[in-house]
Amino acid sequence: MEPTLTNYLALSGTLFTIGAVGVIFKRNAIGMFMCIELMLNAVNLTFVAFSRYYADVTGQLFVFMVMSVAAAEAAVGLGIIIAFFRNRISVDVDDASLLKN
Amino acid sequence: MNTILLQAISNPDVNLQAILPETIVAVTGIIVMLYDVFAPKQKNVTTVISLIGLAIAAYFMYSMWGGGPTTSWNGMIANDPLRISFSLVLLFVAAVTILTSTVWSERETVPVGEYHALLLFATFGSMFMASGNDFVIIFLGLETLSIATYVMAGLRKSDLKSNESAMKYFILGSFASAFLLYGMALIYGATGTTNVALIAERIASPTFPGLLLMGGAMLVIGFGFKVATVPFHVWTPDVYEGAPSPVTGFMAAGPKAAAFASFIRVFVIGFPLIGGATAAGYLHESWVTALAVMAMLTMTVGNISAIVQNNVKRMLAYSSISHAGYAMVGFVGAGVAKTPEVRDAAIAAVAFYLLTYAVTNLGAFSIISLVGQKNDRRTEFEDYNGIGFKSPVIAFSLSLFMLSLLGLPMTAGFIGKVLVFRPALEAGSVMLTTMVVVAVVNTAISAYYYLRLIVVMFFRERTTDWSEPKMPVGVAAVLLITIIGVFYFGLFSGSWIEKFVTPSAPTAVQAAK
Repeated sequence: MEPTLTNYLALSGTLFTIGAVGVIFKRNAIGMFMCIELMLNAVNLTFVAFSRYYADVTGQLFVFMVMSVAAAEAAVGLGIIIAFFRNRISVDVDDASLLKN
Repeated sequence: MNTILLQAISNPDVNLQAILPETIVAVTGIIVMLYDVFAPKQKNVTTVISLIGLAIAAYFMYSMWGGGPTTSWNGMIANDPLRISFSLVLLFVAAVTILTSTVWSERETVPVGEYHALLLFATFGSMFMASGNDFVIIFLGLETLSIATYVMAGLRKSDLKSNESAMKYFILGSFASAFLLYGMALIYGATGTTNVALIAERIASPTFPGLLLMGGAMLVIGFGFKVATVPFHVWTPDVYEGAPSPVTGFMAAGPKAAAFASFIRVFVIGFPLIGGATAAGYLHESWVTALAVMAMLTMTVGNISAIVQNNVKRMLAYSSISHAGYAMVGFVGAGVAKTPEVRDAAIAAVAFYLLTYAVTNLGAFSIISLVGQKNDRRTEFEDYNGIGFKSPVIAFSLSLFMLSLLGLPMTAGFIGKVLVFRPALEAGSVMLTTMVVVAVVNTAISAYYYLRLIVVMFFRERTTDWSEPKMPVGVAAVLLITIIGVFYFGLFSGSWIEKFVTPSAPTAVQAAK
């Protein structure tokens, strides 16, 4: 059976949901960041599926942009997490509790 | 021979003139970065270079006024009043932030050149958010802005609060970007295009009507995070409190205005009301309703939470949330506008509102940076006890900014509020009128915490000793600009409002595709 557009959309929707749930429930900053990457890649799958469906390159072009942005975001994000780790010796977001009411 | 090679190639619609201001800002950023590599000890040279670059960009942006709405780069860049007015606000915010930062870079060991370069790149991204007429440009602008701002929030590398602020901003900001991106993908799926103007055309007959609605909802979540509306505001107080004060002032004024610019472009221009089309009509109705409810919640929750704060930066963070709510009143007013003239006037009102908010808020944050001292140690309300007559310049100007945030007549804040409330009131629907009533009641509630700071400064006894902070030239300049701005926009705003509205767009910007 050939996979249809619906199959791809269902898969990307599932991946996106897994990522979103992971960000909400994970407590490790690196883990949360990986879940965000999963969400971005789920979106990429949606773009590619529609790009194929419409036979239009815009979607694929968008995916390249998303990939390069995700790389930049990873560089900055890991830098921020390392700065946090140096001062706290932890990457647990529950330790990020100085700023609260 | 392959026939593809013989086909005529249509050249892309390259128009470097149209993105000249953005290019200047980016090039200035690169020059600043390179200069800093060779002269890492400098503190003032990059300040001057950045200010000159921003001024030139603002000049070219200003000179674009009056050309009528056009698009270039195959419909990717829009050149209309929305873009020009928001871009000028963003350039102003960046310039004032650079001046304010002189106080901070003098007393702390921050990498000044890197900071200025990041600020310029953030401004570059935010200007593309205002001019982007295509989801690709809007997304790239948003990410350029966000990534630079994450770093700026964490510039105090050894300060735990700054680390924490940067990490929270990074995680929640990229979480929101993912939602925004999914929304864009679904809209692309529903209409087959990522161009805002083409979406507006095709929305009447989408390929997948269901995806259109889901995409719209995702976009509301994503943009809602970026402009800090309730219920997507939880990151705001923590991030604003932990970031260095000049950066907080920038975050409250710049990224918020940029996010509003593309929020308005995508929803008001991209998802208009089209009679007879079911999915498009339903989408329009539901986003207007959702944003109206969000505006009411944002104002109320922001103001009520601000009342109980004991930290001035946190108080201003909640105040910035409630101001996003006021701006959304004008936004919804633009959404229900029946003619393009009314719509453009409402968009101009939102831009003007964000300008008055930026003037006032940047002034307030310059004082907070000044009083805060090293690592922002003095930011509690107690730290402001009784400074009123000891440091009159600081106390009186901060009081003026508080009154303008409150919206007292004769100040900029008042005119801004009147302008954004008017389109929603003129629409005449029950829900929108209720929204305006809620906004007015909220203005009254906000008097409590704005006036509290004034009372604290003038009528409380000071128990600890007070050493008046030395005011650097940059901060003095900021105070001068913002105080004049508050009165100028409060008293003679007419010409600027007209400028923001002209040229009245005949129809939605056309796509060149």
